[in-house]
Amino acid sequence: MKTLKNIGLFCKRFLFGVGGFFKKLWKHKQGRVGLIIVAFLAVLAIFAPVIAPYDPYDVTQRAEKGLTPSWEHLLGTSITTGQDIFSMLIYGTRSSLSIGLITGIVIAVLGSLLGVAAGYLGGWVDTLIMRVVDVLLVIPTLPLVIVMTNVLGTSYAVIVLVFAAFGWTGLARVIRSQVMLIKNANYVKAAELSGASKWYIMWRHILPAVSNLLIMSTALTSAGIMVAEAGLSFLGLGNPTAISWGKMLADAQSGGAMLFGHWWSILAPGVGIFLSVYSFMRIGLAIEEILNPRMRKGSSMIKVFKHLNNTYLDEVFSSMDEQSKLKGEYAGNAAAPDTDTQRAEGASELVVAETVVEGAPAEVSPPARKSGKKKKDAGENR
Amino acid sequence: MKASYVIKRILLTILIFFIVVTLCFFIPRIGVTDPAERFYPARSAGMSDAEYEYVKEQIRIEYGLNGSTFQQYLNYMGDLFKGDLGNSYQTGKPAVIDEIAECLPWTLVLSVSNLLISLIIGILIGTMAAWKRGRWQDRALLNASTITTALPAFFIALILSFYLGFEWEIFPAYTDQNMVSGFDWSWGAISTVLYNAALPIFAMAIGGIVSYGQSTRNSVIAVSGDDFILTAKAKGLSNRKVIYGHTLRNAMLPIVTQFGMNVSGLIGGSVVIEQIFNWNGMGTLFLTANSNNDYPLMMGIMIFMSAFALVANLLTDFVYSLLDPRVTLGERR
Repeated sequence: MKTLKNIGLFCKRFLFGVGGFFKKLWKHKQGRVGLIIVAFLAVLAIFAPVIAPYDPYDVTQRAEKGLTPSWEHLLGTSITTGQDIFSMLIYGTRSSLSIGLITGIVIAVLGSLLGVAAGYLGGWVDTLIMRVVDVLLVIPTLPLVIVMTNVLGTSYAVIVLVFAAFGWTGLARVIRSQVMLIKNANYVKAAELSGASKWYIMWRHILPAVSNLLIMSTALTSAGIMVAEAGLSFLGLGNPTAISWGKMLADAQSGGAMLFGHWWSILAPGVGIFLSVYSFMRIGLAIEEILNPRMRKGSSMIKVFKHLNNTYLDEVFSSMDEQSKLKGEYAGNAAAPDTDTQRAEGASELVVAETVVEGAPAEVSPPARKSGKKKKDAGENR
Repeated sequence: MKASYVIKRILLTILIFFIVVTLCFFIPRIGVTDPAERFYPARSAGMSDAEYEYVKEQIRIEYGLNGSTFQQYLNYMGDLFKGDLGNSYQTGKPAVIDEIAECLPWTLVLSVSNLLISLIIGILIGTMAAWKRGRWQDRALLNASTITTALPAFFIALILSFYLGFEWEIFPAYTDQNMVSGFDWSWGAISTVLYNAALPIFAMAIGGIVSYGQSTRNSVIAVSGDDFILTAKAKGLSNRKVIYGHTLRNAMLPIVTQFGMNVSGLIGGSVVIEQIFNWNGMGTLFLTANSNNDYPLMMGIMIFMSAFALVANLLTDFVYSLLDPRVTLGERR
């Protein structure tokens, strides 16, 4: 009964939190743009069978191959299989959004669990998790994902699982460095003194304090996963039965869209990828600016999302990793912050740490032994 | 930089490398009872059980799949220690390390020139944007960075190859394979390589230029609020001297960090681009190995990429501490 009540309380708090969050996001100009685009894409994805003029999965609906745009086929038909490209574009929203969101959420759960455990429990748990992070950060992610899909197959479940299994590292590091700040806050100390169990403190005190950070990075990871999924299906390694934007691009390229000058069959899926990734990024960055009003306008884009272009996932996570390093050093160097202000990309990055942990008084710095260790970790993983 | 830290750092790197190798060894063996199974020939008529077993054993020995899994692991590690990454399943005889050595320079041509171009042009553009802060140059850079971060590089590459390669025929859209086989160090061969590499490099560099530009801009603006900049201006230095002599020099550290991160991704970062332009590098090698289920080759490439990233991380750390004496690298002064 008690657990039921607790779950009910959690749901209530969660719903109110989410409601307030969307309200704040809506007031933020950039966030509103992101929300509108995401809502638009979500409507497309949910009502795809109604909106799309043809069913791209239906073999009998396939028209002649490589038709040019006309009123019958707004964007022509695909060169290799003769489906209506406009319908494929709408159906492609489904795979992109679902994989991005589901993987983002799985990564949020995994990353927050491991990050909170590493940061709060410390000791061998911390060492173990951080060594695993070290290993996963070194192995190039795209090749690793390719190998895993080769071994395990290319169903949606496997793709989500593989992305999640190798994608939680960046988030776990960010959360860990946050938790190491929070766990020295007075209210956590008070809870410890009053005899609360570690699980209770982690669930009730630590996790809520990092929840905003969690939502922000979920939006950004989802965007990263969408690009990665497009890349994977472009290489022909995604789910072969599904319709996705990456596969549309690959079909257009292999079918000779370039040779015949069918620019629309290349541009259409590209616009789809751009819109979905852009909207999620906008939301993530808007949340960041809401959390951290002192952040200079517009400066955050590249910092958080450093060249997503070049190497997909690993760049996303290593940029998050860099953020976490900066914060980690900030936490470790509480006594001499001017040193890392110099090496960080401007002091504004560090402000995130301050605003999120309003409860944590500035004078409480982590114990010397622990902070030294953390600084070392930060140095190792550059 | 203390010697004890350097030693600890190197030991940890070696430990991580061994874990990576172990992981790479066991991943292809997930859910496979006998990895050599697909190489066994069909049993010919009149072959006794013992004879067939003998044939199978010979094949296992040929592919290094004899003995228990643990025995194979020890053999693999021993071979690795001698610099031997095993034999490719597909081509049979040539050692994996040879194939990597063949493809590595071609990937490096792309990624190194991409990195250098992004770095140099990015810093120039970023400095200019910081100089003209708030004007159209700055806004253009911001908009460009918004667009390029949301567009996958392979899409940019497709668009480039569509217009520059197919429509306007300025650069070749596909790599000329004779370039690889007939390469001598003559000027003609080198210029052919550069001509063929132009589009892939450009496709990769667009994102890099913008991202280096944006971080240079942010870093320069962060530094230009400092007191010593005010001093430099107060003593009457020209804008150009203040920016290139004082601001930029002190704004370099975040760029070095970013550069180090990019260096560790030099080999593994161009898989999709190589595929699009049919470039004969590590990425194409890896994808070919993947479609052939050539596990030793795939694992060899992964191990090589990881080792490269590890060494690059190590060196970046050390270089960083040399550049900025304030960074103590984990030791409290």
